[in-house]
Amino acid sequence: MAAIVRFNLLTKPQIVATLPASLHVQRFQSTQAPPPGTPPPQTKTKFGPLADEDRIFTNLYGRHDWRLKGALKRGDWYKTKEIVLKGADWIVNEIKTSGLRGRGGAGFPSGMKWSFMNKPGDGRPKYLVVNADEGEPGTCKDREIMRHDPHKLVEGCLIAGRAMGAQAAYIYIRGEFYNEASNMQLAIAEAYQAGLIGKNACGTGYDFDVFMHRGAGAYICGEETALIESLEGKQGKPRLKPPFPADVGVFGCPTTVTNVETVAVAPTICRRGGVWFASFGRTRNSGTKLFNISGHVNRPCTVEEEMSIPLKELIERHCGGVTGGWDNLLGVIPGGSSTPIIPKNVCDDVIMDFDGLIAAQTSLGTAAIIVMDKSTDVIKAIARLISFYKHESCGQCTPCREGIGWMNKIMTRFVKGDAQPAEIDMLWEISKQIEGHTICALGDGAAWPVQGLIRHFRPEIEKRMQLHAKRVSN
Amino acid sequence: MSALRQVMCRSTASLQLYQANRAAAARWASTATDGGPLDPKTALARPEELEQRNKLSGKITVPTAVNLSPISGVPEEHIRERRVRIHIPPKNAMQSGTDNVNTWQIEFDNRERWENPLMGWASSGDPLSNMNVQFGSPEEAITFCERNGWRWYVDGAAKPKKERVKNYGINFAWNKRTRVSTK
Amino acid sequence: MIRAPLVKALGALGSPTHQMASRAVRTSAMVAQTPAKAPEKIEVFVDDIPVQVVPGTTVLQAAAQIGVEIPRFCYHERLAVAGNCRMCLVEVEKSPKPVAACAMPVMKGWRIKTNSDLTRKAREGVMEFLLMNHPLDCPICDQGGECDLQDQAMAFGSDRSRFTDINYTGKRAVEDKDIGPLVKTIMTRCIHCTRCVRFASEIAGVDDLGTTGRGNDMQIGTYVEKLFLTELSGNVIDLCPVGALTNKPYSFVARPWEIRKVSSIDVLDAVGSNIVVSTRTNEVLRILPRENEDVNEEWLADKSRFACDGLKRQRLVAPMVRMPNGELQAVEWEGALIAVAKAIKAAGGQIAGISGQLADLEAQVALKDLLNRLGSEVVATEQGFIAGGTDNRANYLLNSTIAGLEEADAVLLVGTNPRYEAPLVNTRLRKAYVHNELQIASIGPKIDLSYDHENLGADAALVKDVCSGAHAFSKVLEGAKKPAIIIGADLLERADGAAIHATVAEYCKKLKKPNWNPFNVLQTNAAQVGALDVGYKAGAQTAVKAQPKVLFLLNADAGKVTREQLPKDCFVVYIGSHGDNGASIADAVLPGAAYTEKQGIYVNTEGRPQQTLPGVSPPGMAREDWKILRALSEVVGKPLPYDNLDELRNRLEDVAPHLTRLGQLEPAGDAGAAGTISKSIGGGAIDIKLKELRDYFMTDAISRASPTMAKCISAVNKQQRENEAKQSVAI
Repeated sequence: MAAIVRFNLLTKPQIVATLPASLHVQRFQSTQAPPPGTPPPQTKTKFGPLADEDRIFTNLYGRHDWRLKGALKRGDWYKTKEIVLKGADWIVNEIKTSGLRGRGGAGFPSGMKWSFMNKPGDGRPKYLVVNADEGEPGTCKDREIMRHDPHKLVEGCLIAGRAMGAQAAYIYIRGEFYNEASNMQLAIAEAYQAGLIGKNACGTGYDFDVFMHRGAGAYICGEETALIESLEGKQGKPRLKPPFPADVGVFGCPTTVTNVETVAVAPTICRRGGVWFASFGRTRNSGTKLFNISGHVNRPCTVEEEMSIPLKELIERHCGGVTGGWDNLLGVIPGGSSTPIIPKNVCDDVIMDFDGLIAAQTSLGTAAIIVMDKSTDVIKAIARLISFYKHESCGQCTPCREGIGWMNKIMTRFVKGDAQPAEIDMLWEISKQIEGHTICALGDGAAWPVQGLIRHFRPEIEKRMQLHAKRVSN
Repeated sequence: MSALRQVMCRSTASLQLYQANRAAAARWASTATDGGPLDPKTALARPEELEQRNKLSGKITVPTAVNLSPISGVPEEHIRERRVRIHIPPKNAMQSGTDNVNTWQIEFDNRERWENPLMGWASSGDPLSNMNVQFGSPEEAITFCERNGWRWYVDGAAKPKKERVKNYGINFAWNKRTRVSTK
Repeated sequence: MIRAPLVKALGALGSPTHQMASRAVRTSAMVAQTPAKAPEKIEVFVDDIPVQVVPGTTVLQAAAQIGVEIPRFCYHERLAVAGNCRMCLVEVEKSPKPVAACAMPVMKGWRIKTNSDLTRKAREGVMEFLLMNHPLDCPICDQGGECDLQDQAMAFGSDRSRFTDINYTGKRAVEDKDIGPLVKTIMTRCIHCTRCVRFASEIAGVDDLGTTGRGNDMQIGTYVEKLFLTELSGNVIDLCPVGALTNKPYSFVARPWEIRKVSSIDVLDAVGSNIVVSTRTNEVLRILPRENEDVNEEWLADKSRFACDGLKRQRLVAPMVRMPNGELQAVEWEGALIAVAKAIKAAGGQIAGISGQLADLEAQVALKDLLNRLGSEVVATEQGFIAGGTDNRANYLLNSTIAGLEEADAVLLVGTNPRYEAPLVNTRLRKAYVHNELQIASIGPKIDLSYDHENLGADAALVKDVCSGAHAFSKVLEGAKKPAIIIGADLLERADGAAIHATVAEYCKKLKKPNWNPFNVLQTNAAQVGALDVGYKAGAQTAVKAQPKVLFLLNADAGKVTREQLPKDCFVVYIGSHGDNGASIADAVLPGAAYTEKQGIYVNTEGRPQQTLPGVSPPGMAREDWKILRALSEVVGKPLPYDNLDELRNRLEDVAPHLTRLGQLEPAGDAGAAGTISKSIGGGAIDIKLKELRDYFMTDAISRASPTMAKCISAVNKQQRENEAKQSVAI
């Protein structure tokens, strides 16, 4: 769910900020000295593979000690005090320079988002909420961080919290992540004991608390306002925006909700510099990213790679290729279940970053790549996703509550082929009636897989209907 | 006959006025900068608005009070005894629409009704109870009543609507009781 | 609202010129005003018409300012914004997706398009989704004909269904909930607008309703089976935009197009709620609230709404005279009037009258006039009040006014439970509590007011404490911008009522603010204020003390007068609508009209005269009360000088001119009795009659005759028994 906060939820200045890269490039060229916080211009033309010394998550596979001792050995908590003492503006500028975009799916520029919190206060405390409710099918990056590198997140909370002047961080962790929650809790306890957080965190004179809250297993609670509601102890039903959480968030106070990965990379960015981070990937898509590749590949894995790496290279290099070879590929869902599927011919040369996938009429989402080979019943696969969304819809607003249920009914029949070809267009229209009309992005996330299916696999659906009609008439 | 002529005269006059306005509007549209003194009411109006305004200005005015009751054929009893209530019908509490509650209506005092023993229909001996006439203003209704010789009273003036501040954010206020407790 | 945009859409077919012209007028007026005043307003454009609005106005409100009503289901003016039905989506230029008009505040220069293709498509889409799982049972649905979903489907929906799955899996079905004897639920029809949930938690103050489940399985309900028992439960019927919550006693009774609606006033409490009486043939079928911002907003208490079936039961339909064998026997009007006249002649001026809870002002004036003509001055109200306190109108009014109470910021309740004595005053207090940070304290037994309040204790001496400024709550009252003290009317019947009254009145002079009178008496009887206004003495005992030979009971049913208190040969005449306490002790019963059958003025607790209008005619031989008295005066030989209502109203104008200005409030001065009151407040606990919900339902002759009210009481009792059983199991 974290993956599907989309442009249409953003306010106008925010939308401007996420306009295509070309506009920005031109603007940079016209002015001689770019303002602080501007990422450096892009020089590279080939992206990936990522060198080992450039990896941020060095214990992604849990081969080393995840506790404080091991984390210190890997360089966590190194000079954290100095970073915190440099102040909010410095951290925000560094994040802006790095070009880091939210890793939860919407890809909103993190530096800008954090800077929204630095408005003059009105006496209310501010909070950082870390969205660890990683429920998007196919996504398994945050849990790797939390169980194998929890100190990266704790340190990130402190730094991000400092950047926005927050008093405390709430880590809202998915209820099913039992081991992750327990590791996280231990890491927090260790950090408290070592004086890294809590009163006078790291000896900086800055008081900062980190709390962990376990969810109860609702996908919708990964939507930021629903997460806030859930954190407050109410039903996890999204709120309308405005007011944005930066204005009225958790407990009615200014809040920023960020993804685990976004927070966890912040310390390394601050230590190694925003320019270093920005040197990976294309402009406006910079950095390294955890990719989760699952499905019909030889070795499914979660791997940290450079942004803008071609999909094919990513699969071939890290996963041992698609089962039965690249030619056996049917399609790929590139960013978690809510992003539209792309067929093989698009997969051949698509680039794995925000803009590259938008060009392919899909989205980077959480970079959870679901690979399907030719043995897949793609209609059934999408139908299964819709049934998931139907189950996870909160039921608050009409288009999502009623529309997804309807789509599910239709998709169930499409699997058998028990439908008329005209209903394909109807399904498309229904998905368009849901998209953009709901309170949160879950409606959009449910509509896109269907749209992707119809866009690329319409003949498949029609064929099945013909088969079914023939079977019935016999 | 003279009244009719008067109406006709008025309508031709208003037609001329209308054409003049249209010409004015056309001039404004073509040369915006010519700076002549313009009546903003007519200059900025759309043609159909002008037309409507002119139609409204072409009303028939009847100079003297007329009592139609002797010739209306309504039984004496209904004229002498009854009282007409002039009111704006209340909004139906069951519906949120307000389309039918913007005009003034007249209503006679209620009389006995009974259930028709044969069909179960609602019966009444009151020929005026089903009269539903709508007016744009209470004055029009009063004029109508007086012409028919009915006694009338105006019930309830149109009150200005109270302005309310609606704010979604207060559902989540941190220090107010407006915070939503249930959903 | 529903049709306006449709007409606009039709363009050539309808007659939009009128609207356009009126809009143009408004617009030009607005343009003319702009430079002069209201500089803080911002300009937005609704369908290209400029509108000046205050910042923070929602899109929906901005559109409403120029008469464009945006369709909505979940939005309600008096409830919190939910924004979940998505029906109010409108296009805003340069916004990539439509915005929810009910929640979105307008920004400067926004161009809102309420009738563009995008807007209409969004509406049609939402409408299609709502209808998808909504049963097509309009023909058997009680909401049919006055259903928002029907209306809006007509205006904004598609003309045909695409729901092909009706042939496969069908529609959703939801189990009905039993939430009490007043509200019938057909939950399959629910469109999950959550208006009922919000009403319950915000206005009624009971968090009984809520949503359970999620997605398509979301349901509105109480989670565990439980009755939705509050004194305001009927309002969810009005709020429900579909037929999911309907009126249980009214179910399958009538269609909205076959009923006649008569605007009237409720008299079952002293609030004077504005109502619409729905009638068919000669029967009152149901009662709905009528909007009046100053009195009841648009709510109605359950007793006022559902007790109307008591109008058909226990009615007195023929005059009756007590025979020598002690039985009441029905006679002709002539016989009854002659019998009464004989008794009056024999009484020789030793006559008294008692006016009860439901008597209208006309009858009260007629009774007083008749008795005065017969040489008696003894007319009294059944409910007591402090002696000598009726000269000053402010002494017995709710001076802060009902609407004013929602601006109060500190309130002290003395011996009153507004929740059950005047539910719609309580909603105002609750509104002030929620929106105005009102602080409330009460003196009296511990009660549940549906909001937090401080119970100072039950001892009457506390009144003195607070009013001397010594009590902690005195500081709150004195520091408040608009403080108010509300005294229960029943409390003033006590022996030391006058002392309490005087103490509070004295203190209120200190608390007084410009344009704000903090002294309030919360009346419980609809007839009380009117009677005191036209010169009735307070208290039935006044009449009893006179030891009359003939006693008139005008709707006096509270049972305050008993046969034993009266002289043996006293001839009791009862005029009223129901065979209740009054009729049972009467020697002659003259059947009167109930409040739905007469045109009568009632003055509410804040002193606002309002009139009822007849919806039906009185049953059988019953007649309007003042006409009975007029006829009697003729028989006695002292004819009253008015033959019709207009003449009677003229007489009323002579007596009390402010009472004929219907609907208008005459501000009263400071409270305080004329004579010096030195009686000190005696000790002893202050008690309240209506402590819990079960006490609320039956308080007068009409509600005592109502089977629905009886069902309510048994439902409350049942719920309590179940709760007790559960608790004992838990222990």
